[in-house]
Amino acid sequence: MEKQLALQLRGITKRFGRVVANNHVDLDVNRGEILAILGENGCGKTTLMNMIAGIYFPDEGHIYVDGQEVVIRSPKDAFDHRIGMIHQHFKLVDLFTAAENIVLGVHEEGRYNLKEVNQRVTEIAGKYGFHIDPRKKIYDMSVSEKQTVEIIKVLYRGADILILDEPTAVLTPQEIDKLFDVLRRMRADGKSIIIITHKLHEVLDVSDRVAILRRGEHIATVNTAETNESQLTEMMVGEKVSLDIERNDPVDAAPRLEVMHLNLHNAEGLHVLRDVTFTANGGEILGIAGIAGSGQRELLEAIAGLQPQMEGDVIFHNPKKDKPVTFFHKSMKRVRELGAQGMFHDQNMKPVSFDGMSTAEIRKWVESGNVLFKEDEIIDLRDKTPLEIRQLGVRLSFVPEDRLGMGLVGSMGITDNMMLRSYRKGPAGFLDRKKPRELAEEIIRELKVNTPGVNSPVRRLSGGNVQKVLVGREIAFTPKVLMAAYPVRGLDINSSYTIYHLLNKQKESGVAVIFVGEDLDVLLALSDRILVMNSGAVTGIVDARHATKEEIGLLMTKTDRARKEEA
Amino acid sequence: MKKFIALLLTLALCLGCVAAIAEPVAKENVKLGVILLHDEDSTYDLNFINGVNEAKEALGLSDDQVIIIRNIEESAACTETALDLVDEGCTIIFADSFGHESFLLEAAQQHPEVQFCHATGTMAHTAGLDNFHNAFAAIYEGRYLAGIAAGLKLNELKAAGKLHGEKPLMGYVGAFTYAEVLSGYTSFYLGAKSVCPDVEMKVQFTGSWYDEKEEKAAAEALIAMGVDLISQHADSMGAPTACENAGIPDVSYNGSTIASCPNTFIVSSRINWAPYFAYIVNQQIAGEPIDTDWTGTIATGSVVLTDVNEAVAAAGTVEAIEAAKAAFEAGTLHVFDTAAEGFITKDGAAVTSYMADVDTDEAFTPDTEVVADGYFHESEFRSAPYFDMQIDGIELLNSKF
Amino acid sequence: MAQASEHKEPLIHLSKRTGVAPLRAWLIRLAAVALGLIVCGLAAMLLIERLRDNPGRIGEFYYTFIKGSFSTSRKFWKFLKNLSILLCISLALTPSFRMRFWNTGAEGQTLVSVLGCIAVDFYLGGKIPEWLLLILMFIAALACGAVWALIPALCKARWNTNETLFTLMMNYVATFLVSYCLVIWVANGSSSLPKLKTGKLPTIGNDYLLIILIVLLLAVGLYIYLSYTKHGYEISVVGESVRTAQYVGISVKKVIVRTMLLNGALCGLAGYLIGAGLDQSVTVNSVGGQGFTAIMVAWLAKFNPLVMIITAGLIQLLNQGAAQISQDFNVSGAFPDVIVGIILFFIIGCEFFINYQVHFRSRAGQEGRSVK
Repeated sequence: MEKQLALQLRGITKRFGRVVANNHVDLDVNRGEILAILGENGCGKTTLMNMIAGIYFPDEGHIYVDGQEVVIRSPKDAFDHRIGMIHQHFKLVDLFTAAENIVLGVHEEGRYNLKEVNQRVTEIAGKYGFHIDPRKKIYDMSVSEKQTVEIIKVLYRGADILILDEPTAVLTPQEIDKLFDVLRRMRADGKSIIIITHKLHEVLDVSDRVAILRRGEHIATVNTAETNESQLTEMMVGEKVSLDIERNDPVDAAPRLEVMHLNLHNAEGLHVLRDVTFTANGGEILGIAGIAGSGQRELLEAIAGLQPQMEGDVIFHNPKKDKPVTFFHKSMKRVRELGAQGMFHDQNMKPVSFDGMSTAEIRKWVESGNVLFKEDEIIDLRDKTPLEIRQLGVRLSFVPEDRLGMGLVGSMGITDNMMLRSYRKGPAGFLDRKKPRELAEEIIRELKVNTPGVNSPVRRLSGGNVQKVLVGREIAFTPKVLMAAYPVRGLDINSSYTIYHLLNKQKESGVAVIFVGEDLDVLLALSDRILVMNSGAVTGIVDARHATKEEIGLLMTKTDRARKEEA
Repeated sequence: MKKFIALLLTLALCLGCVAAIAEPVAKENVKLGVILLHDEDSTYDLNFINGVNEAKEALGLSDDQVIIIRNIEESAACTETALDLVDEGCTIIFADSFGHESFLLEAAQQHPEVQFCHATGTMAHTAGLDNFHNAFAAIYEGRYLAGIAAGLKLNELKAAGKLHGEKPLMGYVGAFTYAEVLSGYTSFYLGAKSVCPDVEMKVQFTGSWYDEKEEKAAAEALIAMGVDLISQHADSMGAPTACENAGIPDVSYNGSTIASCPNTFIVSSRINWAPYFAYIVNQQIAGEPIDTDWTGTIATGSVVLTDVNEAVAAAGTVEAIEAAKAAFEAGTLHVFDTAAEGFITKDGAAVTSYMADVDTDEAFTPDTEVVADGYFHESEFRSAPYFDMQIDGIELLNSKF
Repeated sequence: MAQASEHKEPLIHLSKRTGVAPLRAWLIRLAAVALGLIVCGLAAMLLIERLRDNPGRIGEFYYTFIKGSFSTSRKFWKFLKNLSILLCISLALTPSFRMRFWNTGAEGQTLVSVLGCIAVDFYLGGKIPEWLLLILMFIAALACGAVWALIPALCKARWNTNETLFTLMMNYVATFLVSYCLVIWVANGSSSLPKLKTGKLPTIGNDYLLIILIVLLLAVGLYIYLSYTKHGYEISVVGESVRTAQYVGISVKKVIVRTMLLNGALCGLAGYLIGAGLDQSVTVNSVGGQGFTAIMVAWLAKFNPLVMIITAGLIQLLNQGAAQISQDFNVSGAFPDVIVGIILFFIIGCEFFINYQVHFRSRAGQEGRSVK
């Protein structure tokens, strides 16, 4: 089949302030092909596509559709040139049905006839192999169904050029396969499809050609059949990168955190955690897989004490037997309490009693290192606030999904962000910035954080540097449990590997690492065990060394089906 | 004029002091500073602005010789402004609001070389300062004249059988229950009674000097009670509008409302401040002391009536008013005439003695006998009104303010 | 190219600036003030009779602005005193604003404090020694302000009520409370409380110096509190993100309540300075809208206590200058508001041009020309 040009970009440039998002990008898209746009986060993929879709207007350059120069000022202009974009964040009205959403904003002659619309939607769906009920309300739909509505919306408007921004990020492996089938059918129908992604195997799986962007520049366009993962990575990153994730066998894995029958209803009354039970071992990475929004966030927050209305128990095992008590993680008050409960003994196994001792005497005794724990500490974190958990001496670190909205304070510099966990230390009401500053400098040095200075707002840093700061801080407090939610989301490959490396180092030093991920390849390569969640329930815990992607994919959707069968 | 001299003599006796001899000031060096609570949007302050401008014209002062400062709170800001005006070279400083007084007094204490004049205030005769003066006008005389017009109108209605009740009944919308208002409505009532002896009056208070909605509502409530005529002592168009809507004759205050109420407006009284401004400037030029308490009268041109609306007023109104006016000027007529049989009674008895609180101490202690020579001497022991008796024939509907 | 010109590019498009150089930002602000002054001049020529007839006197118009604050030493001291009171209220608002608790109730919080300290003066003045009276007045002012701020804070912490509306409504309650007390206190019914003879803050140097020094100290103290103490740090964290605060175990409710107590107490200090330092009296206008102006002062200073000295000065300069214009040109009372309004419009509006860049369509249709 003769290749026919559908879309040409020539010299497209877009600047945001001093940042050049796209620098003289040339790109050709043929009729009847799937073109993958590959690049790391922040390389300008989405910006470039937004200019084709009429969201942004280029500072320089020309766009040609079918050989004719066009000016695209708005999404409506884009549709007039038969270009449609499916954004990463869906733009649908929850209370409307699929069909109503699809016709929303379409200006057609004649009366609005929902029956006709439903019929046309069904036709389009049938033609490309979608499964959709046009009468179903959006709020009843799964993420994958919503995406289908978005795609049909674009097709309904007669688009011949479809742009999909990271369409697979929210889908299970099975759903991805289905989507790719649909895309292939569209290609056969003569549509041009541009798919933005940073997952190499998907590129190789579905695309005809791959255009690689790096730092706003178009590096090359290659035929998919003639390339491979490492070549693409090299073009994307600009240097050779090893893609293997190291994984050592766990040493002395002992239970560290026991989660038992955890149930949680959120503010809207939805049952977001259903009887979650598992154990995380020290010296092991426990991966958590699941479709986005399956309760991963709530689970980690419940453990961290941020979901006070949860039910169930979170038991922390502190391997303290015969180890000296310190004031590093225990307050004087807590030491007195534990002493009164008879939790300590001295080197001669004689029970320790603080009765009648002054604070100074106790302090002296404890600091001499001769007060030892009688048993491992077993602490129930149920109904404890984050502050209480810390005061109990539980070293629980948490790298939340929302880095700047939860883990860090965007307007503060690195030094002040280091203090978040520790600012309460020190006697007077004043802050001590000396130690946090030293820590900040150490993290900048060790993790190669690219920042203008320790006081420059972290909001201005790139995603990778933000994450290094956050993970660096959480690790600096020598945790016993480290929870990380999507720690490599939005990070470039090099930063991602830095994070994997840090997690592995923690595992080696005996920390129980809980890693919530979205890329199954990474989860399978990094974790020791993988816990799969769906709709707030645990659907399985598998050995990461032997499990397959398909197996996990089935677990990710398991309860859904089971529930439907019951109904 | 006899009354004027009597007033001066009384003052001299009361205070036991004679104002210090002031140096004459050349006309071109006189500078008048005027401090206003609000600006032109308030009819009260507008009346002062008009007065200043009129006096300025009449005296031939230049623009630079008059400074008007608007929107000064009744707070230390008033003292500050007065001191600023001293810096500007003002030789006379005037403030228009009751609440300015204590703050203006403070500036007066600091600058004995500058004259300070305050309208409506009560402290000058007890402050013991040569350069601090109060001023008011015998507006009760104006109200009495307006009352005559009201009484004649009631007689006309009575003759035509158009009264709502058996007896002629008037309604009055007042602001607050204090002397200035009490003195005002009583004199209005007495004016009406002087020509229409069986008249009665109901008074409704609003608790605000300017609240169009409240004033209108008060007037409407009075109309619903069957009053035959309404007058007011509050600054908005609320009551006149309600009267026009209901077709009830209205005696207005502070200026004519004939433009908006052509079918009900009878007459209105107001204080004209121009004579006072002219007086204080002229006294300074002449090197004469300014009265500690100055009360403007019909004779000084301070108490004025608008033209009578002949279309509404009863026949002979203009003539009756002119006659009473002449009698006031001649000193033969007194508003609060306690000698006339059955004219002013309290609980059915004639009034022969009344101790008024002239010195305004906090406890409101009556300190001065004000009934003498067969009448109540209003605005003589000090310029601001102190008549606060409640006499027969007037019913207060509420008194919470 | 020929084809390209047939299509129309948008005439204007905007793009967000990233990281504006401070110098550039200040130049834009300066330009805005200049532009505002020019528009004021035009408005004056149009509205003021004396200028309309004689446009040559426009220079005098601008000179009058300066004259309002600097022509005599009294005016200068007055300028510093007014600046201090305004600054004091702005500083009071700063902790809560840093916490993104949009307290629009400084007016009421300050007014109630004036009322509280004058109430003590009214009932106890002359009956107890002056020094004791002043201390009791101080305590009363702080307590009243704190309570007035605490009520909305507790409701916010407990029921998550909207603090902006709540604090705004509290202003009206405060005003009516003052009216009510005045009706009771003032026997002659005029609702105008004469200046009390007792409860006057001692003076040093002149009447205002003590007040000015107190507020200056407060500005420095608050700067230290917000930047160098644990409390200040907690305020910043809560302000930036409640979720971050929860994440690190900061009790958000506690911080809200504590910060609003501080806010209220500082409003109480402002009320004390007004009541005991200046007026020895209270009216519904004792604060005179400064509680609202303070919001702008704090906002313009980006909630930095030290920069607030400058912004409070600027606003005060405008106010006094505009009042002087009203006086010298004998124009109606609303005119100063127009002048101040125009200039503030430009100052606030220019923030848009600091944050965004405007591109105009160029003739060639290829390269976007940009301004500012």
